[in-house]
Amino acid sequence: MALTDRQSITPPPTGAPPHPVHARPVRQPRLEAIEGGAPAHVGRETPFSLKLWLESGIGGAVLGSVSIAAVLLAWYLATRYRLDFYVRFGNIPTPLDVWRSILEVNHSSKFMVNIGISLRRVLLGFSGAAIVGIALGIMVGRYRIFRSLAMPAMELFRPIPAIAWVPMAIMLWPSNEVSIAFITFIGAFFPILINTVQGVEDIDEVLLRAAHSLGAKEKDVILHVVIPGALQHIFTGLAVGMGVAWVSLIAAEMISGQFGIGYFTWEAYSLISYPDIALGMITIGVLGLLCSKAIHICSKLAMPWTGLAAGARK
Amino acid sequence: MSTQTTRPQAGHIEVRDLNISFKARGATVQAVKAVSLDVQAGEFVSLIGPSGCGKSTLMNAVAGFTQANSGVLTLDGKRIDGPGSDRGVVFQQYSLFPWMTVRKNVEFGLKMANMAPSQRETQARTLLGLAGLLAFENHYPAQLSGGMKQRVGIVRALATSPQVLLMDEPFGALDSQTRSVMQEILTNMWQRLRLSVLFITHDIEEAIFLSDRIYVMTARPGRIKAEIRVPLPRPRTPDMMDTPEFAGLVRSIKKLIREESLAAMGGELRDGGCGGLSMEIGPEGVAHVL
Repeated sequence: MALTDRQSITPPPTGAPPHPVHARPVRQPRLEAIEGGAPAHVGRETPFSLKLWLESGIGGAVLGSVSIAAVLLAWYLATRYRLDFYVRFGNIPTPLDVWRSILEVNHSSKFMVNIGISLRRVLLGFSGAAIVGIALGIMVGRYRIFRSLAMPAMELFRPIPAIAWVPMAIMLWPSNEVSIAFITFIGAFFPILINTVQGVEDIDEVLLRAAHSLGAKEKDVILHVVIPGALQHIFTGLAVGMGVAWVSLIAAEMISGQFGIGYFTWEAYSLISYPDIALGMITIGVLGLLCSKAIHICSKLAMPWTGLAAGARK
Repeated sequence: MSTQTTRPQAGHIEVRDLNISFKARGATVQAVKAVSLDVQAGEFVSLIGPSGCGKSTLMNAVAGFTQANSGVLTLDGKRIDGPGSDRGVVFQQYSLFPWMTVRKNVEFGLKMANMAPSQRETQARTLLGLAGLLAFENHYPAQLSGGMKQRVGIVRALATSPQVLLMDEPFGALDSQTRSVMQEILTNMWQRLRLSVLFITHDIEEAIFLSDRIYVMTARPGRIKAEIRVPLPRPRTPDMMDTPEFAGLVRSIKKLIREESLAAMGGELRDGGCGGLSMEIGPEGVAHVL
């Protein structure tokens, strides 16, 4: 293996050879953003670059604040002047009202209990869906017999929205808690299943051949090729599933609930405490956002090999 | 890799009367017909032929990915009935696992052989060092150029010390400069390891430069049309490509291939589909055909 002496002849990696259709373009990670904002070749008098400004983090923060401020301002103006043009803002609480109720509930343990219960239901339903959906998806994607056995039944249940399960779930499960978690499970399950199956089916056959020729047994193929190969799709499924889980949870809580943030929001409407409706909505939004961020962070940690190329973003 | 030199007898591939056919759109297509060939232990043999002649199918059968319909296929007298680490495979497409770093890719075969983690790390780093790739051990495949990916692919296939290396147009996707460098790397490596290589290509110069013997295949169904011994001395150097002897070999093989390529194109044009043509024949392949 005297390959060392030949290394100097090899063109550097930036030599960009022509790629066949299936090869991913080789791109260096966007280092200029990490190393302080300006690429070396630009020189001292760097002209303003929108792309770099956005990548630097400051630009992103500024634009983000602008968009949120615009929403708040529109909300304030619409409620302050009680706009009424088919859409009626007459009873809608102002941002200030909502701010006051935020300060109030900070002292209320009841509100925190509601949040805690909703989070518990989502985590229960979602993690159940993740475990069952990923495991079943891998079996269905890998083995023809599982596909033939499982998929017809799955296709039958898939079009039924999770919310339509509410009456059935109440009859099926011994407690209200379990039936709400079950509805959340149903919501999250199908996106996770379908994406996992897709991920397994999309794995390039050459990788399976390579693994086999290196002595891999079926167990190794599943562990080292099928699962990591499907991981990107699995995380897509998890992200979509988490969104649907929240939708299903809130609907279930509004219909059948005691406790929970969905119940809190609906109850606020019944009790005519309008600022709490907005507070409930904002809380649901923030919780949903945090959950999907958590999945995004997990995906980055689990797949350090992705994101090495910039993709289509300008 | 001293294990290779201590068993010079191992790595004899024997193919006798091999027939392979597969179903495509309801019709049965015979890809390989009555092929017999040998790769002696420590020999470098190329298989050359027009695109679609079944040379990749033949290699897939030797690798154990494809089942033959009839015939005998053995490695050192043992029947081949599936893929295994006694036959290292280098693919035309980049086949590194995108989720493993360069070193983990190289370690994979050793891990499958239940080698201890510290031991396989040492061995993988040694091999990568010899290949001049140690600086990239923690890179992911997406961060490498095409030539480097194929070098890692070769190192990975060699890591388990196979008796045989099967290479299916491994440099087909590379630009011509990288390609000639890779050919030089390969011939030097072979000079050291002396393992049996079955090399699939459609590039005549590449086949002559690398091989001890060349089998020329016919258009589909693929049969062996000719067997050519390459009398060039070892070790091979790029300046040999400028000798009249080399040019003479190129000319005679080119003539053999041209007949078959025309036959293949005629067939494909009659079938109304030459879509596969531009995919498999690179610019240099077209030059050979025309």
